[in-house]
Amino acid sequence: MNYKRFIYYQGIVGMASSMIFPFYILLIRNVGDSYAQFGWAYGLFALTAALCYPIIGKYADRVGDKSLLAIYSWGMAILLLFFPLASEVWHVYVLQVLMGILGAVQKNSEKTILARYVTKEIAGAQIGRYHVWTSVAAAIAVIATGYLVDFLTIASIFYVASLIFAGSGIIVLKLQTIKQ
Amino acid sequence: MKTAWLALVYVIIFGLSVYVYVTQLNRPDNDLHQRLLPVEIKKVTSGMTDYALQKIVYDAKNNGDVLSIAGMQHSQGGQTVYPNGLMIDMKPYNQVLEVNSQAKTVTVQSGATWADIQEAINPYGLSLKVSQSQNIFTVGGSLSVNAHGLDIRHGGITDTVLSMRFLNADGDIIQLSASENNELFYAVLGGYGLFGIILDVTFQLTDDELLETETASMSYSEYPAYFTKQVKGNPHAKMHLARISIAPDSFMEDMYTITYKSAHDQSELASYQKLKTENLVAVPKFFLGLSRINDAGKDSFWNAQKVYTQQINGNLVSRNNVMRSDSEFMEYDNSRKTEILQEYFVPVDQFEHYIPELKKVLEDHPDFNLLNVTIRYVEQNENAVLSYAKEDMFSLVLLINQGTDEKSVQATQDVVREMIDVTLAHDGSYYLPYFGYPTKKQMQIAYPKTEEFFELKERFDPEHRFMNLFYEEYQP
Repeated sequence: MNYKRFIYYQGIVGMASSMIFPFYILLIRNVGDSYAQFGWAYGLFALTAALCYPIIGKYADRVGDKSLLAIYSWGMAILLLFFPLASEVWHVYVLQVLMGILGAVQKNSEKTILARYVTKEIAGAQIGRYHVWTSVAAAIAVIATGYLVDFLTIASIFYVASLIFAGSGIIVLKLQTIKQ
Repeated sequence: MKTAWLALVYVIIFGLSVYVYVTQLNRPDNDLHQRLLPVEIKKVTSGMTDYALQKIVYDAKNNGDVLSIAGMQHSQGGQTVYPNGLMIDMKPYNQVLEVNSQAKTVTVQSGATWADIQEAINPYGLSLKVSQSQNIFTVGGSLSVNAHGLDIRHGGITDTVLSMRFLNADGDIIQLSASENNELFYAVLGGYGLFGIILDVTFQLTDDELLETETASMSYSEYPAYFTKQVKGNPHAKMHLARISIAPDSFMEDMYTITYKSAHDQSELASYQKLKTENLVAVPKFFLGLSRINDAGKDSFWNAQKVYTQQINGNLVSRNNVMRSDSEFMEYDNSRKTEILQEYFVPVDQFEHYIPELKKVLEDHPDFNLLNVTIRYVEQNENAVLSYAKEDMFSLVLLINQGTDEKSVQATQDVVREMIDVTLAHDGSYYLPYFGYPTKKQMQIAYPKTEEFFELKERFDPEHRFMNLFYEEYQP
């Protein structure tokens, strides 16, 4: 995978995921009962991720980063379509568990790709540059989403984010085909 | 090819999701809000001239608008709102106009809170005779719901109003008091904003004094005798409240009482006169939070309350400070559940028989989440047309945690109606500012002058310029 392409891809998925994360709280507020449930929703996310890392790590070297990124992109694209439909707290919990799994896939792949493509001697500069662009994308996404929620509904941002994830999924698959 | 298939599956799920969302989930919420919201909120500011105030009513008359009046809007039965009406927000109309330390009176605009009054009169060593236990409410609101508080010596709140200026449904400003336009006066007090706008009010005050806290605990059956002899019968006792247990271990059996008595040595008053601000919100908030969750939480809340009460025994506190109860810890933020209040009045001599029957109703409904019951005393007072104090009574304020979905509302309504039936069977009554669970019939039994009240409304506001959901619900 072309490293530049990877940054481009990470920028897009970073955009989509930072679109939903801060505003996601608004959804839990509509659905949830208390601050304790916020805690549980985020705790489950982190906990599933923790349980998944060893397995994902093992598979990462066998199936390759690109497949995992494709799973992440398409998984997120589809998962986000269920967020607007969540009306009970347990729905949110289930979604959070699945998000935890996919989140772990993304985080692990991000790091393995960086590890594989970065030149050791200039790793600092390269990873720094990588973070600049992904962070810029994230910032733009969060600000723009604020306006989006003001004008549309909270549900609409999940649909928009889902479309962006689907777009990133297509990019990942294309990369693969070209290589083949 | 693989991408195309994937994209197709994705588009199908996308479409389904949007369809389900739009058709099923997005609707009811919006409808509910649209139904309740007034179209416009008009702020009345403290510097407004009489003419500017009158113009609100004239304009409404000319445009055929319906007006509702709002203070803090803590009444839960829609007393401050009317669909598509114009809501007048009185909160900024809150100046303390005059404190007369000679005559011991204070004149305030109706949007002022009881806290505003306390701050104005405390430096003069004066105190309210009767006020609501919490001081966050507006004067206009408290008078319109005929509120009562901890004081056991000065009658009802209506007795402490010397006079008021009132903007009626024709847009005229008139003077109301026990001797001037008294029919309207007693309809407006406890009139739920249905007759016009209370502009400013003059209250009779009393002297601030140093009080000594006396606490006790007992079983509910001992309470009426204790109250009659040790509290009501003791001229030094000035203010009083009690709580009955909602904890499973001592459900509707255990009580503790707090009585404030004149301290022997009043010379120390000065060092207790500084008005307290709300402190230690976190501790009661934590225990109240526990008691919402389950029975163990309720036990620990009750035990904590008892320990705290024992600790304050003997404490000295100024009258003004007793009349500023904490309320911030009760703030509750939840989208799916809400906390409602109910208040029942039962004659002092019926209390002992009443509690076991109320207990039975509550035990029959184990899911009914009762969090607190505070008991206070109200002296017989039939000034207001809608008077709840038909004789000397105990009032029980129930704090209830309930869901906001249709099923939970229905379940709460069933229990509330049952509890009111029990209350009425003991010659009791219930308080009107809360959610419209009671039936019309129950209101007529609890308030024998209900019909007269609605007749007065027709007489003084035949065009229904002032309206609210409470009227809609309970009009004959």
